[in-house]
Amino acid sequence: MSERVSLQPAYVLHQRAYRETSRLIEVLSCDYGRIGIVARGARRPGSRVRPLLQPFVPLLLSWSAAGELATLTGAEPAGTALHLQGDALVCGFYLNEVLLRLLTRHDPAPELFSAYHEALGGLQTHGCDPTILRRFEKRLLDVLGYGLQLREDARGAALSADRRYHYEPQRGAVPADADRDAPAGGVAILGRCLQALAADAPLDGICRRQVQRLLAAILAPHLGPRPLKSRDLLLRIRRRRTTK
Amino acid sequence: MSYTPLLQQLMEALRCLPGVGPKSAQRMTFHLLERDPEGALRLAKALTEAVERVGRCGSCRTLSEDPLCPLCASQRRDRRLLCVVETPADVLAVEQSGAYAGLYFVLGGHLSPLDGIGPEEIGVDALLARAREGVEEVILATNPTVEGEATAHYIGELLRELGVGVSRIAHGVPLGGELEYVDGSTLTRALAGRKPI
Repeated sequence: MSERVSLQPAYVLHQRAYRETSRLIEVLSCDYGRIGIVARGARRPGSRVRPLLQPFVPLLLSWSAAGELATLTGAEPAGTALHLQGDALVCGFYLNEVLLRLLTRHDPAPELFSAYHEALGGLQTHGCDPTILRRFEKRLLDVLGYGLQLREDARGAALSADRRYHYEPQRGAVPADADRDAPAGGVAILGRCLQALAADAPLDGICRRQVQRLLAAILAPHLGPRPLKSRDLLLRIRRRRTTK
Repeated sequence: MSYTPLLQQLMEALRCLPGVGPKSAQRMTFHLLERDPEGALRLAKALTEAVERVGRCGSCRTLSEDPLCPLCASQRRDRRLLCVVETPADVLAVEQSGAYAGLYFVLGGHLSPLDGIGPEEIGVDALLARAREGVEEVILATNPTVEGEATAHYIGELLRELGVGVSRIAHGVPLGGELEYVDGSTLTRALAGRKPI
């Protein structure tokens, strides 16, 4: 039984050579989630789809799927192409690497597609702003079912901006001074940083670091032990600039 | 039907070539043994010699059996110019254009974090060492793919710190092409990189 999909909004996350002249592309599509698609002949010199099938290009893809891998039947550009440059490009790789680690194939997530689309748009306009990455990570966790509890603290009380909390994945935000018998593990974070993350508000210097640590800690068990290469690359670029 | 072990071995060996499947391997085997045994011996000898002796040029890292490839050894080349490409095939492509008289550096790939390829894997340190040897301008001719762009960006920043001039090859509409059939991203680049005439 084969399924035909026509003009589906999608982004290429990654691609690699497949057989002699083809490419195997991993795609994030709007209605079908992550899909592996074979693009026949996409490595031939004159291939029309070759320049299109690049990461960060909004596409309308058509394919037919019979088994695990689909076969590309058409590719068209969707709207204006993004043009990520410099660090924004490396940040884009980071988004793709995280998605490929965390998403399984054939698991539809339209909200995730729009989150990704917005994140890329943000990278294009503002460059690699950490707030964009954090917002995307938060929405990704929501979609995967590991969403953060940011409305109230672990005891059901409203978060207070000036209070210190320890965020634990199982319990949520535990007030730092509340539970002396069971000292909270988790990541230390200020109430106002949790509130800013919840509201998608801009993060100041302190919150940026705390939120980054929080999301990294929550993502870590799902990403597995292998380090993310794109994050290494970005840290390296940043570190070199600051030591200069 | 099954072939004798030697025939079988040859067919399997031929299949390491790109584009050669079982059927082509069989055709090649019969052609070599039946019609052109001399050619087969020449091929075997050439292959053995090449694999044993060809290594990397010590300066530009392209394929060469000498410690310095003919391009790097030539006195006619402009030693102030260094063109950075991804593969030895790219050296040949630029060379065939006849428009370039400087030297080359072959990275042997591009930065591709998702494939686990970082700066060490493509020999960025070797390039920086090479750029310190009296180079005035480095031309980054990595492919116009996202990975090639990321590579150019990363290397470009390091080279600028060294005080070396850095440029990137232009992207645009192919000659003899028609605008109607050129994809949007290429046209965007072509417009962004327009020149006064």
